[in-house]
Amino acid sequence: MECVVQGIIETQHVEALEILLQGLCGVHRKSLKIHELCLKSGPNLGTSPSEVRLLCDLEQSEPAWRVRHVGGAMRGAGAEQISVNVRTMVESKVSNNVLRLFYALGYKLDHEQLRVGFSFNFQRGAQMTVTVSSVNKMLRLHATDEAVPITPGIQLVEVTAPATSENYSKVAAAMSSFCEYLAPLLHLSKPGVSTGVVPTAAAAAASLMSDGGGTTL
Amino acid sequence: MEGGIVEGGQAEQQTQPVERLNQAVQQQLNLESVKTRAISLFKAVSRILDEFDAIARANSLPKWQDVLSQFSMVNLELYNIVEDIKKVSKAFVVHPKNVNAQNATILPVMLSSKLLPEMEMDDNAKREQLLHGMHNLQLLSQIDKLKTRIDMIGAACESAEKVIADTRKAYFGTRQGPSLLPTLDKVQAAKIQEQESLLRSAVNQGEGLRIPGEQRQITSALPMHLVDVLNVGESSQTFSDGSGMYTKNNPTFSSNNITSQGNLIQASGSQLIGRTAASPGATGSTSFDNTTSPLPYANSPRSGANILNTPSPQQPSQLQQQQQRQKMMQLPQHQQQLLAQQQFRQSSVPGIGQANLLYYIKLFYPTPNQLVQLHDLQGQAQQKFQSMHSQHQMQFSQPLGSQQFQSRQLPSGSIQHGLGQSQLNQGNQLNRHLNQFSSPANSALFNAAQSTPNTQMISNMSGMMPSQSLLPRMQQYGLSSGSRSLASQNLSDQMFNLGATNPGSMMPLQQQQQQQQHVSQGTFGNMAANAQNMQPGIVPLQNTQQNHPNYQQQRQQNQ
Repeated sequence: MECVVQGIIETQHVEALEILLQGLCGVHRKSLKIHELCLKSGPNLGTSPSEVRLLCDLEQSEPAWRVRHVGGAMRGAGAEQISVNVRTMVESKVSNNVLRLFYALGYKLDHEQLRVGFSFNFQRGAQMTVTVSSVNKMLRLHATDEAVPITPGIQLVEVTAPATSENYSKVAAAMSSFCEYLAPLLHLSKPGVSTGVVPTAAAAAASLMSDGGGTTL
Repeated sequence: MEGGIVEGGQAEQQTQPVERLNQAVQQQLNLESVKTRAISLFKAVSRILDEFDAIARANSLPKWQDVLSQFSMVNLELYNIVEDIKKVSKAFVVHPKNVNAQNATILPVMLSSKLLPEMEMDDNAKREQLLHGMHNLQLLSQIDKLKTRIDMIGAACESAEKVIADTRKAYFGTRQGPSLLPTLDKVQAAKIQEQESLLRSAVNQGEGLRIPGEQRQITSALPMHLVDVLNVGESSQTFSDGSGMYTKNNPTFSSNNITSQGNLIQASGSQLIGRTAASPGATGSTSFDNTTSPLPYANSPRSGANILNTPSPQQPSQLQQQQQRQKMMQLPQHQQQLLAQQQFRQSSVPGIGQANLLYYIKLFYPTPNQLVQLHDLQGQAQQKFQSMHSQHQMQFSQPLGSQQFQSRQLPSGSIQHGLGQSQLNQGNQLNRHLNQFSSPANSALFNAAQSTPNTQMISNMSGMMPSQSLLPRMQQYGLSSGSRSLASQNLSDQMFNLGATNPGSMMPLQQQQQQQQHVSQGTFGNMAANAQNMQPGIVPLQNTQQNHPNYQQQRQQNQ
């Protein structure tokens, strides 16, 4: 299970966001470049199609594959009061022939994307991961070297935190309070809910860059 | 024992003054009575247990009536005791809740109120620090002083938090400028909104990221992390529109009936072909680069000068000649159909294709000399086919004369399919043609040709061949196989049949190699009229003919 929120930020402010996150999280940023393949099951695997995501981490010298299944988000009155999305999620590391395995099982490639950016993994009330990435699409199949951003001017910010069914409310609260710190730069919301950009983003970014950046090399 | 023996709890109180329970609680608790009742209950339970013991030893049936009644009595008594305790339980915190084997031994230690020596020293030190300077005062004043201290600290914390929050607000607030918050331009906001929805839908649902079926083909070299994981053949499996073919090693055969032919006839050969056919795609380069220059074949004995000369002129002239010939010859109906539909789908090709076809048709009713010349055409066709492969087939119109066409394609065909040159040199130019033009189709036909007698081979091969070189090839094969007895009519029939099927069969490999995929679809339809499966090998071909209308779709899907 995980709690997740998403937001967008203009590409020009990403650097400022990085500075802010660096200060808030206290850990070093981790670059990430992930090739994500989304597979859908064929009709031979049940009445309703299921979706599985294969993530290949291209940042290291050896590509590391993970498989991830994301379930539906929690619904109901309680879910609406929480400001984050709580959904089931199962993730595991796999070997690099996972793609063949799924093809053999009858899964077909639905779409793929390439995410390039950075992430912070820290503890603040709960273990959280903030990912800021540019989502790229590939014009030709599997041509990761020729990926272009879907929206060149906007990048995606995602905050996720693993949770269990017992403590998800606590995790959600911790996540919400963290997101408040990012309020000057961006708004975070449940995936699927549009937020728009924050009007103060430009000013906040300028201040972050000028003062915070002033002491940098 | 039923409840209610109330005794004054005070009699049982400790005489020491320290830490007495509240009077009211004590009265309510009725410790004494509870104790008495508990003891009596305990006695009753032990009595019952003894009775059970006796019954068990005597191995006699217990009288359930009695047992149950006793049990109910015990139960009721316990319930009453617990109820009474509950009334005053709020004043107490009980830990541990139960006395069981684990904590029975530790309970006396826990009950002891004396601290451990270290803890005691620690406690004393802290107390000393706290009450420094207040020893002389009374207890109440000490308490008051401590309270004020606590209050002061609390106030300091609150003010500090407030200051931090104010500063944070001010910090971001002042940066915005003296006036109101800047608002986004409406137009800009709309644009951003649109971009945002695009991005979010792409990330969450994959909108806008799905490549349509026909573009789903691995065109370039795979990235590092996928090279080992994917074979080219598996790309066909990636399409969600249900056309996935799991022919890992025979991608070219996946959707073609002819592949089954080839597989049946020569399983190993087809495997080979499939693999080699796949390799060009996988490596992203054409294997045809390895072919030797077709030019040597131009002067080979097979490529007679006669034939080479006539096709070599520009296409239009060829076309004209051929058209004239066509009319003159009054070809049988099927032949005419073949000609009519022997038009390459690609715009650049039709001239040459038709020209070649017509040319071949001219040669179809040949003299023996001309028959010999057909061999050259074969080579030319091969060349042409090679060029097709390497140049995505749109380049028939390129300087390939039919001569080149013939001479080139011989080697390329063989190389394409990974068949040894020896196979080609079986004396079946037809086979070579097969290899040249449509690797999957050709290979299948080739296999068929190899295993079947001449006439069969001829028909098979012609089926395999693309429409362009169909006719001449057939003739050649017919000639080479020695079945000269075949009337030209038969040959033509065979050719047509094969030619009809040829386009279809060619498709898979061509597709695989991302080549011209619509080749001679027209002929396919034409051939249907003439579909005559003269040999067993042809039977599958006929099927492909029938599949023709859908063939193109199939091919598309396979990609």
